[in-house]
Amino acid sequence: MTLNKVDREAVPDMPNRLGIAGIEFIEYATSRPQALGQVLENMGFRPVARHRSREVTLYRQGSMNLVVNASPDDARVSGTVDGQPAISAVAFRVQDALKAHTRCLDLGAWNVDSHAQAMELHIPAIHGPGGSRFYFVDRWQEFSIYDIDFKPIPTVDPNPPALAGMSYFGVVQYIGAARSADWQTYYEHMFDFSSIPDEERFGILPKGKLMKSPCGSFLWQLVEPEPWMDADDSPECLQRIGFGVPDVGLAVATLKARGVEFVESTRLHPEDRGALTRATLGSVAFELVHQ
Amino acid sequence: MSMLDGYGMDTITMAGTLEAKLAAMKGAGFSQVMLMARDLVTHPGGVQAAVAAVQASGMRPTGFQVLRDFEGLSGHLHSYKLDIAKSMLQMCAATGSKVLLACSSTSRHATQDLDAIAADLKKLAMLAVPLGIQIAYEALSWGRTVNEFTTSWDVVCRADCPNLGIGIDSFHIFAAKTSLDAIEELDPSKIFLVQLSDFMWQETPTFEERMTTARTFRVFPGEGVHTEQLADLVLRLDRIGYRGDYSFEVFNDDYQQLPLDTVAERARKSATWLHQDVLHKAAPLPEWTRRRA
Repeated sequence: MTLNKVDREAVPDMPNRLGIAGIEFIEYATSRPQALGQVLENMGFRPVARHRSREVTLYRQGSMNLVVNASPDDARVSGTVDGQPAISAVAFRVQDALKAHTRCLDLGAWNVDSHAQAMELHIPAIHGPGGSRFYFVDRWQEFSIYDIDFKPIPTVDPNPPALAGMSYFGVVQYIGAARSADWQTYYEHMFDFSSIPDEERFGILPKGKLMKSPCGSFLWQLVEPEPWMDADDSPECLQRIGFGVPDVGLAVATLKARGVEFVESTRLHPEDRGALTRATLGSVAFELVHQ
Repeated sequence: MSMLDGYGMDTITMAGTLEAKLAAMKGAGFSQVMLMARDLVTHPGGVQAAVAAVQASGMRPTGFQVLRDFEGLSGHLHSYKLDIAKSMLQMCAATGSKVLLACSSTSRHATQDLDAIAADLKKLAMLAVPLGIQIAYEALSWGRTVNEFTTSWDVVCRADCPNLGIGIDSFHIFAAKTSLDAIEELDPSKIFLVQLSDFMWQETPTFEERMTTARTFRVFPGEGVHTEQLADLVLRLDRIGYRGDYSFEVFNDDYQQLPLDTVAERARKSATWLHQDVLHKAAPLPEWTRRRA
């Protein structure tokens, strides 16, 4: 009798030493919050609350929280180029934020100093790729962190339902040439992400290396420039968000009716596995992935 | 393409301002430069002006040096060195250097446990990932625990981290009389930097002698008494598939008081010798042969 490959390589328990349990919020930095807000509303997000002390708005749909940071004294906002919004942070739900933060610093992460004002939450963070941040949030079950730093927008439903059943599926990170191994090791070491075999792909953009969070609830895709893109030395960044949907066709039709345009070319077009929205404001695109 | 493209000089070899050093290197035909942190911080215009000078010269940084005595410390010493390492990484990134040189520790306060040393270097490598920097770990021949490239390679293997590799320095290999046979055991893709120099003594048995010689009386490849061994080293590196840069790490008190062009010319001769007489690489054809009809 021979053992098959899967048995031989079976890993009983994936470690999850930070107790990662999904994405609490994703943050965009932009100097054009209204324009980005319009794009997000087309995608089904609703503004539900405003920050008490800074120019920051919380958008929500279904289980997804999305923060738009337009605070002019934040270097990540002033650092955006040509008014193009950038994904400036991803917050992970973890078992214990202090422990998670301390562990990452011990492993070689760069600390982000807190600028919390009086009575605001100090959410510990480390630096991510290209000036972005990773936050650690542990109080996502007992109460909402947004109740402390944000004031609800009056008359607005604080929990708008998700359009076409959308939820966070993953984040795509653009990296430098020959940098996949560096970042894979980084995410394995820091967050216990695990690499997914190259044969296993989701959506319609199968490039790069795919990693899975230890909780299994989101994916992380690392995309290098193509070998022929010699001149592409653009900085590394979190490039786009992927939304998981039960029915891509339905989601595309619903979003199209709201004015969202999709990339439709001979090689790339909406299909059952996924779809990609046409980039707006120079940099903001979303991917739909069948889930 | 120039014949000298794979070779570079080190700013520590010459006297003068950073701009003058860069101009002399460029004038001799070099296109890359190994930068020393001191060159940046002592620049009259500060680090920013130094970075601007490097960029304006069009020279590619081979790497950035040097982080010393980082690994194996604990408690407040570790925290202190971590801060130093972060500042070095930030300067390294500012210059556009992709490699930071870290030398093995000489400290008696550092542990001799190779696994603990490897864990510290992995931490350093993790700090370097978001900045896009590789760490080249070099065995100083007077390092307390790690003083031969065979041991630095062992540590790098234990750390098992893609952006942590070794730096090879011919001086330390000859001073410690490490057998070159172990070159065969190296993975060429994990050699992030090769620094070449020779010296004039046959024997440097004590750490003190090695230190004094290393800091005052190194010479360019082909100028010292280990010419044959140096050629052997370079050929072995070439044979295992190393295709990275060769940088001339020549600390020499005499060169510090010679005109910069004179020193750069010696470096050019050395590079030409390595390229043509040792590696037997063809010189590129004249420019007119590559012009399209």
